Amino acid sequence: MNAYVVTVATLVAIQSIVACGLNVVVGYAGQISLGHAAFFGIGAYASALLTTKAGLTFWTALPLVIAITGLVGLLLGIPSLRVRDDFLAITTIGINFIVEAVFLYVPFFGGALGIGGIPRVTFFHVKMKGLPYLYLCLAFLALVLLVCRWFTRSWAGLACFALREDETAAASMGISPVRFKLLAFVLGTAMAGLGGALYAHFMRFISAGDFSFPVSVMLLSMVVLGGMGTLWGPTLGAVILVSLPELFRPLLEIRFLIYTLLLLLMIRFQPGGLLGEASLVRRVFSRLMPGKEAPR
Amino acid sequence: MHLFLEQLLNGVAIGSIYALVTLGLTLVYGILRILHVAHAAVYTVGAYLGLLFFKMSGSLLVGCAGAMAGCAVLGIAIERLVYFPLLKYPPYVPLIASIAILLALEEVCRLVAGPYILTFPAELPFPSLNLLGVDIPSSVMGILCITAGILAFLWFLTTRTETGLAMRAVSQDLTIADAMGINSHAVVSFTFAVGSAIAAVAGILVGIYYNQVYSTMGSVPAYKTLAIIVVGGLGSVPGAVAASLLLGIAETLLIGYAHIPLPRDALAFLAMIAVLMWRSEGLFGSR
Amino acid sequence: MKKVLLSVRDLAKHFGGLRAVDGVSFDLHEREILGLLGPNGAGKTVCFNLISGVYTPTAGEIHFAGIRSDGLPPHRMAALGLGRTFQIVKPFSNLTVLDNVIVACGVDRYRSLARSFGGWTGAAVRKKAVELLERVGLADEADRKAGLLPLGHLRRLEIARALAVGYRLILLDESFSGLREEEIAPLMDLVARIRQDGISVLLIEHNMRVAMKLSDRIVVLDHGRKIAEGLPGEVARDPLVIEAYLGRGGSSRVA
Repeated sequence: MNAYVVTVATLVAIQSIVACGLNVVVGYAGQISLGHAAFFGIGAYASALLTTKAGLTFWTALPLVIAITGLVGLLLGIPSLRVRDDFLAITTIGINFIVEAVFLYVPFFGGALGIGGIPRVTFFHVKMKGLPYLYLCLAFLALVLLVCRWFTRSWAGLACFALREDETAAASMGISPVRFKLLAFVLGTAMAGLGGALYAHFMRFISAGDFSFPVSVMLLSMVVLGGMGTLWGPTLGAVILVSLPELFRPLLEIRFLIYTLLLLLMIRFQPGGLLGEASLVRRVFSRLMPGKEAPR
Repeated sequence: MHLFLEQLLNGVAIGSIYALVTLGLTLVYGILRILHVAHAAVYTVGAYLGLLFFKMSGSLLVGCAGAMAGCAVLGIAIERLVYFPLLKYPPYVPLIASIAILLALEEVCRLVAGPYILTFPAELPFPSLNLLGVDIPSSVMGILCITAGILAFLWFLTTRTETGLAMRAVSQDLTIADAMGINSHAVVSFTFAVGSAIAAVAGILVGIYYNQVYSTMGSVPAYKTLAIIVVGGLGSVPGAVAASLLLGIAETLLIGYAHIPLPRDALAFLAMIAVLMWRSEGLFGSR
Repeated sequence: MKKVLLSVRDLAKHFGGLRAVDGVSFDLHEREILGLLGPNGAGKTVCFNLISGVYTPTAGEIHFAGIRSDGLPPHRMAALGLGRTFQIVKPFSNLTVLDNVIVACGVDRYRSLARSFGGWTGAAVRKKAVELLERVGLADEADRKAGLLPLGHLRRLEIARALAVGYRLILLDESFSGLREEEIAPLMDLVARIRQDGISVLLIEHNMRVAMKLSDRIVVLDHGRKIAEGLPGEVARDPLVIEAYLGRGGSSRVA
């Protein structure tokens, strides 16, 4: 594999992890979020600061990073208990703008210069870069997918599905909306934090713009494109949306237009996503292999 | 004191422009319950079209009329081709579609007009004034007068005409309005046309005020106006106007007098979150 | 004397100036079927929402299973063994019928975070849910999406979910309305059998024939106040009750 492919693949793996986290919040618990990049950023900044300023290694910082992001997710998840649907969408947009502004304007976070000199991850005294780092990211992605799979099969996950479908009915079955919505937020944002840490040590230089609102839009697009609430959807979405601009590189001038038009066509004609209920992919799959189910 | 008053006037002018963009958003939300983020792209297209027609004809009036017509058509196209078929889905679906339209239209503008900032060398045909020693430049006068005119027109339209009655009926309940014999789809399209034409005016005014037209000029307003309509109470027209003016003034004065370590664009969202936590139906809303 | 399971004392709920429930008191005994009747807008569903924790009362007390329960949120009431249906059905539309019931079967799992991390896909849970579906006659629909079911099936699905939760008391909010004639008798049998399992039932019912036949006792509300309480035969002859219904042109509905 050449270095370019490895770089793109690493970014796909990292974005998949973050998108999986968003899927927990949006797809499983039905809480629309357009500010997920903020948590991606909080993870990245936390890891960058802990390793550059506090002198921790990636591995000792990681549990702290995940805890910090999860905790912030818990705090910022509280609005979701008060407002829903459209209000929540706008609130999360606001959270993204404010978090980005804090990174940009508070000197502690490096201001407009961002944070540079983030060390590479070492594993048994070996500096990980290129292919080994891709494998590390893929291993974490596998872990995240396992956690998602476990969550959908746990009572807590089922409680989130029920809340997504009808909160009043769910509460009448003993499900505390507060507890399980916040749980989904914490789990989803912790995954974003993990993705952020991996991103920071991959890029080795981060700035506020990396976690701006358009990134949130792209993350949500990945989840929607792949299929909300499915296991593999966010990963599929990340593969497509990260690699698509690279494939269109020859059409440099209009590639972003193609990209946005594809998103528009997708949401207009297949809002359930590629792996969603009754999607084209599912219909074709069941025709080709009768009796078997497409992965979800 | 004079400086303060001039700042205040600038704030009102900026707030007026926010109000013109936000009006369309509020009308659309009131009638379809869709967060029409792409409205900011209509506003950008309006600025470009206004500049194009102005340069072709040399008349600002022609430029304005052309831009309003073009944006009305664009608004109806967005509603008919994208939003209406998506109404049966949960609210995030039309929202994402709207964001996609915004990004796509910005790209179209960039590709067609080029990635540069264009100038809008026009003067608004309004006199400048000196009131009690405070200079009011013609651009500010123009913005204030045009905004007041549009608001008066909207007030007349919604409260004194049959069309306005139908608009209110449809925003109460689309299905019931249909059953009562109102052609609700036509009313929805009309609402989009009106909102989009007003956005075109806002785009032209901003273009002239800052003497700048560029493809991403709608990016910040797209989301800031969302915060404004939340503060004003989703779907409330007076609330949206009041919140726009308040924000315009607050932003201008804070930049002028206070040194807060946050960019002014974050202010709208801070205000919004504060309002949401304190009064989740917005300042003027009722739920 | 039977033990009291649910006791409502001077219960009131005001919405602004509207007194939806205004000083209502009644007791529900263990293994009893109590009918809550009244014309439209009498405050019956508001009463249900107060008892099940959806609303907090403006005044008054509710005691359930030996504890003061007014003001407890719905999920705490469910944990105490109170199951309910909704007049406007609330299925988890995108889940299968079986999964709808499984959600309800997890009622004691949701009480602690640690216990909620266990899996719900096991055979024992599935078996219990299938049994509940069999009791309401929906076993054949187990793998269909709940959102695709007709109203009659959804009413039975709601009862199955309430059965999974309510080991002490079940609130049925117009579970018989919108059903076809031939669907009613089996459902009445089911409600009668619920009581035999030691569970109490509080029901709101518009179908007088059903309410009179099923209920041990009946409480009648009008304009948020209790106007009658007693055995079905007594209540049906009560002049106040007849007036409350007749006054609204509902003569044919009184048995």
